[in-house]
Amino acid sequence: MIFVLAICVAVTFGVSAYLLLGRELKGVAMGVFLLGHAANMAILAASGSPKLDGGPNMKRAPVSDEAFDAALRDGTVADPLALMVDPVPQALILTAIVIGFAVMGFLLSLLVVTSRNVGTLTLDELAKVHDDQPDEDIDALSRKVWSRRRRKETDIHESGVSP
Amino acid sequence: MTNRWIVLMVVLPMLTGALSVPVVRRLRLSRVIGIVGMSATFTASLLLLAQATTASDGRGALVSQMGQWAAPMGITLVLDTFSGMLLVAAAFVMLCGYLASFGELNPVLERRYFHPLLHFMHAGVNLSFLTGDLFNLFVAFEIMLMASYGLVCLAAGRERLVHAYKYVVLNLVASALFVTSAGLVYGMFGTLNLADLMQIVNTKVESGEPLPDAFVAVSVLLLTVFGLKAAVFPLFFWLPDAYPTLPTPLLAIFGGVLTKVGIYVLARTFPPIFMVGEAGEVVGPMLLFAAVCTMLLAGVMAVAYRKLRGGLCMMVLVGVGFSIAGVAVGGNVGLAGVAFYASQSMIAAALAFVLCGKLEAHTGNDNLDDKNYGGLWREVPWLAVFGFVAFLTLVGLPPLSGFYGKLWIIQAALGGDAQADANAWVGYAALLTGAITLLAVLRWWTSAFWLGEEHGRTSRDDTEAGSHCLSASLGLLLAASLALGLFAQPALTLAKTAGDRLSSPNGYIEAVLNPIDHETPKLKQAKPAKDAAPYEADTKSSGGHHR
Repeated sequence: MIFVLAICVAVTFGVSAYLLLGRELKGVAMGVFLLGHAANMAILAASGSPKLDGGPNMKRAPVSDEAFDAALRDGTVADPLALMVDPVPQALILTAIVIGFAVMGFLLSLLVVTSRNVGTLTLDELAKVHDDQPDEDIDALSRKVWSRRRRKETDIHESGVSP
Repeated sequence: MTNRWIVLMVVLPMLTGALSVPVVRRLRLSRVIGIVGMSATFTASLLLLAQATTASDGRGALVSQMGQWAAPMGITLVLDTFSGMLLVAAAFVMLCGYLASFGELNPVLERRYFHPLLHFMHAGVNLSFLTGDLFNLFVAFEIMLMASYGLVCLAAGRERLVHAYKYVVLNLVASALFVTSAGLVYGMFGTLNLADLMQIVNTKVESGEPLPDAFVAVSVLLLTVFGLKAAVFPLFFWLPDAYPTLPTPLLAIFGGVLTKVGIYVLARTFPPIFMVGEAGEVVGPMLLFAAVCTMLLAGVMAVAYRKLRGGLCMMVLVGVGFSIAGVAVGGNVGLAGVAFYASQSMIAAALAFVLCGKLEAHTGNDNLDDKNYGGLWREVPWLAVFGFVAFLTLVGLPPLSGFYGKLWIIQAALGGDAQADANAWVGYAALLTGAITLLAVLRWWTSAFWLGEEHGRTSRDDTEAGSHCLSASLGLLLAASLALGLFAQPALTLAKTAGDRLSSPNGYIEAVLNPIDHETPKLKQAKPAKDAAPYEADTKSSGGHHR
């Protein structure tokens, strides 16, 4: 079981590394998402085997149960994690999935904005944007517009005061 | 010592951010809310730092268990002297950068959720300074990064969008690696709590038990992750690409605060956990090598830069190199140096970037070869003086604040005993970097302020709105930086304590794993007695419940 999971993790990491190294931003984004899945599976693999030692039976789910709780309190069950699946890695994975989902949304919307503004999603084309238009800095541009508007306001103000 | 109030450091910025969401279109109101919230956070951080340092139980750490779940299981927040110093410095830099943004950012950009994003980022930064477990650190990083992605892409032009990509994708890759290594750490040790990890690793090493097989691999993986966040040598290339396109107030906050989070985490987790045993033999030389390369390369590039923003980003990288050198050399002196250097360099970097913003307001750009630069001392004599002080603070010339941290780091590197050879090289590299960076900043200063003809042009209208806020921010940062340099003793004492406690983390471990519940926090004592009574009963009953 662990072996199969380990192979899955390795393949997913490999594919995502291949995608991340691509020259197309859509592929890079897919690589990032796959990397998140690979990480989640790695945590699952690291959380130990779901099978009971020395048998084909599965461990119990980490859900409260009166009999099991009583056994835990009595001390009849010394090492609960030998009988029960560890819940913490699953909680970690759940958190990571939620965060990954938000990040995925952000990255995709960034893709949309970039393709609308720049008109391309290949890295070679994007690199040219920098070289061709070094001065197209929206801050400088908007600052210019803004200070012009300011000046106009002060002009109006001054012309109102001077006569 | 248990102290519930440290959660304020996360709650206050969160609350400020949440409050400024509905009023985001009303600039003045959201600015007032922001300033009040940030001042409150700054005040709270000062009070908490004072309390952590003078804590009566001698452990030097304030601990808060979320929902009162006992330590290795629940979420733990810890505030000790080191994190306290960084919290104070970060809150101050955030406040000053925020103040500077009032004049510099255009209102359109501000209305696009600039205020909430900045506050949420502050919450993420504070949470990463406070958190006591590895997975919660990942969550804190994500809060911080998510907000910072928003700020980087806010009203971005085409060029910034292109650079934003590198920042976003690299950080996402680092986050995925971080989750993986956190999961592997849990798989190996069955815990994610930092104090618990410190204890387990050190007991294993002391009793001669072997550490798990993959421990070295996980250490290297985490070094990659935190190195990328801190912008350490082979992983620093995103910083000079992404940062210079930001508006200067944001640049002050990003350059001042964000890289220091990576440094904090390296200094917190590596010496007591991931550099212990065999891992130290692998990670230690890597850190030393990375520190030397970061310092020297960034220093040399700083000399070459003729654009002030890019050059200042290189100076931030030099600061990262020095801090990493302190972590790599270790020991109480080295780590005390890191504590002092990291806190003061937040302020120094922010000061330099705000000054760059002020300079750009006069000249219109940051290119030192531009015709508007040169001989500016005639037009703006005070700015020339401030610039001189700010640049020399960045380099760390003796009466100024950058000096002391560097002194300790170099002392620790040169005065070592066991691995003296490698450490001494770091010391020499640090001295050489000091000389190179001095050359760089003097080149910038002379070509901006000193050399060149008089232009005979009037400077841009100084009464332009917000310029006062920028000046106020510049004044605050300058005053803080000068005070840290000229009256350094209190901060140095704090840093000394921080270094001692970082290098021998027994107090930290004890404070987290064996909390003394019957102690009433000082802030509580100040309140009337009828308030304190149910609190005590509360803690007793909960303590009983957990055992």
